[in-house]
Amino acid sequence: MLADAIRSEAYRFSKNRSAVLWSTMFVPLLLLILSGAAQYFLKARTAELKDANLPPELLEMGPLDLGQAMLGQAADLANPVLLLFILIGAATLFAGDYRWETWRLVSARNIRPNLILGKVAVVKLLCFVALAILLVSGFVGELLTGAIFERSFTITFDAGDAATFSLLCLTAYIRVLQVTLIGLLAATVTRSLLAALFIPLAVSIGQFFLLQAMPLMSWGPGDWYAQALMPGLATDTLMSAIQGEPGSASAQTLWMAALSLSAWCLVPLLASIAWFQRQDLSKE
Amino acid sequence: MTAVIEARDLTKTYGAVRALDGLSLTIPKGGVYGVLGPNGAGKSTLFRILLGLIKPSSGTAAVMGGAVGIPGSMRRMGSMIETPRYPPYMTARQVLTWLSLAHGLSTDTRRTEQWLERVGLTEAADRRVRGFSVGMLQRLGVAIALITEPELVVLDEPTSGMDPPGIQEMRALIRSLADKEGITIVLASHQLLEVQRVCDRVAIMNKGKLVREGAVSELTAAGERLRLNLSPLAPALDVVGSRGVLEGDAIMATIKRAEGPALIRALVEKGVDITEARWVGADLESVFMTETGSIQTPEAIHAS
Repeated sequence: MLADAIRSEAYRFSKNRSAVLWSTMFVPLLLLILSGAAQYFLKARTAELKDANLPPELLEMGPLDLGQAMLGQAADLANPVLLLFILIGAATLFAGDYRWETWRLVSARNIRPNLILGKVAVVKLLCFVALAILLVSGFVGELLTGAIFERSFTITFDAGDAATFSLLCLTAYIRVLQVTLIGLLAATVTRSLLAALFIPLAVSIGQFFLLQAMPLMSWGPGDWYAQALMPGLATDTLMSAIQGEPGSASAQTLWMAALSLSAWCLVPLLASIAWFQRQDLSKE
Repeated sequence: MTAVIEARDLTKTYGAVRALDGLSLTIPKGGVYGVLGPNGAGKSTLFRILLGLIKPSSGTAAVMGGAVGIPGSMRRMGSMIETPRYPPYMTARQVLTWLSLAHGLSTDTRRTEQWLERVGLTEAADRRVRGFSVGMLQRLGVAIALITEPELVVLDEPTSGMDPPGIQEMRALIRSLADKEGITIVLASHQLLEVQRVCDRVAIMNKGKLVREGAVSELTAAGERLRLNLSPLAPALDVVGSRGVLEGDAIMATIKRAEGPALIRALVEKGVDITEARWVGADLESVFMTETGSIQTPEAIHAS
């Protein structure tokens, strides 16, 4: 049953403490520490500026709007550093049974699609937890900033902001999951943990360079092939539209972006299941 | 006779290599069944097919009455193939819990404790498996094969890497599972003495084919043989002819007791010095050596 596969994968992953730490806690903690240190540095510089007898209105800071700050955090949620570290956990999950030759222990009593879907379910949970911790650490970072600069706090967050926040988080979540699913396909085909980590990275880097080369090839964000080839561009297109940025894409481009992101999730997943179905698991 | 495993015309090829060559085998319910064969005989390939890890090139296999690979029938089987490996960051207790969950069982700590104790791993239960010896990994593998309370257990080399007391404990456990709990055990082993002691029936495989099958008592009751240590070998082999085979430095003659004195007289008359002549009962090893062609016949000696 799928539930058995999910429970066992979640249990096993929870015992791999280093993978859990690196993939969920490390980046938020690091960013929190770096942000705190940067704010302290700025505070010190600001004190020096006060001594320079500048007009006080230049140095005055208004209240810190935590609601809008969280919207900003959600827009930057799918950041490449977090992606890299989530990939460590995802690669451990997707390639662990090849790495430790343990397919033979779990494969006899369940159907193969369930075994893959069980892993995907735990990676979905991993992505959710990692993004949630990043959001929480971002919120703590804002509180810290306010405390360091002795600013007052305010929260502006209406129903529209809640919808925007949810859609931004969902889009970031799907983007992160999409990159890990490339790792699933890499792990299934190559049976290698390193491939599960580095192939999605290589694909993402390749797509980044393709994005930079778009003007040279006279490609625009509205071109269907650009959206289809670059799920990162599709994510950015959707995020801009969700935030209501000026010059957002047309409805057709938005549909293309949504379709591209979905396809980049579904195709690696279905290909992995199809490959795994006929795989010789005695050669781990 | 109810069969727990039925293989029909199984063939598995890896490129030009035929690991299984039209193997047909029926393993009855109950008792301990040994699958023997030299390296490359196809035992592990057979087990892997039975566990659904690989698909046969042709032929069919059924486990507990259902086709291989169908979870319904596979859920009634436990297995340990070769020296098992586990995620090294887990303890033995965690491995058992993890696989209990994977097999749809509750995380019943009593069952985990019981199996840790039965395979002698209670003291090492909270140690990470990365520090386990091969024997300890084997014990844990046996516990994993049994924790689901299966009706059929397939064990590949269950005593590999174990020390003599461990082998004795494992033998007792296997016999007890078959005799007291009614579990059918199918095991592959190279330790023929162990197989003879623990198995009720055996199948001998060679080059992907079944060459002999039957109750251990039937196979070993094929008759006594006269063991002759003598020299020179060549005239002795002429005298013994097709009745004898060479095993090490000795000729093993398959003859009736009444024919013994006459054979010895004939050898002496040919000028052969006999340093030892004694009757030995047939054991599984000799049956195995004969069936798998691991011994040299007089014709082969002459030819060489």
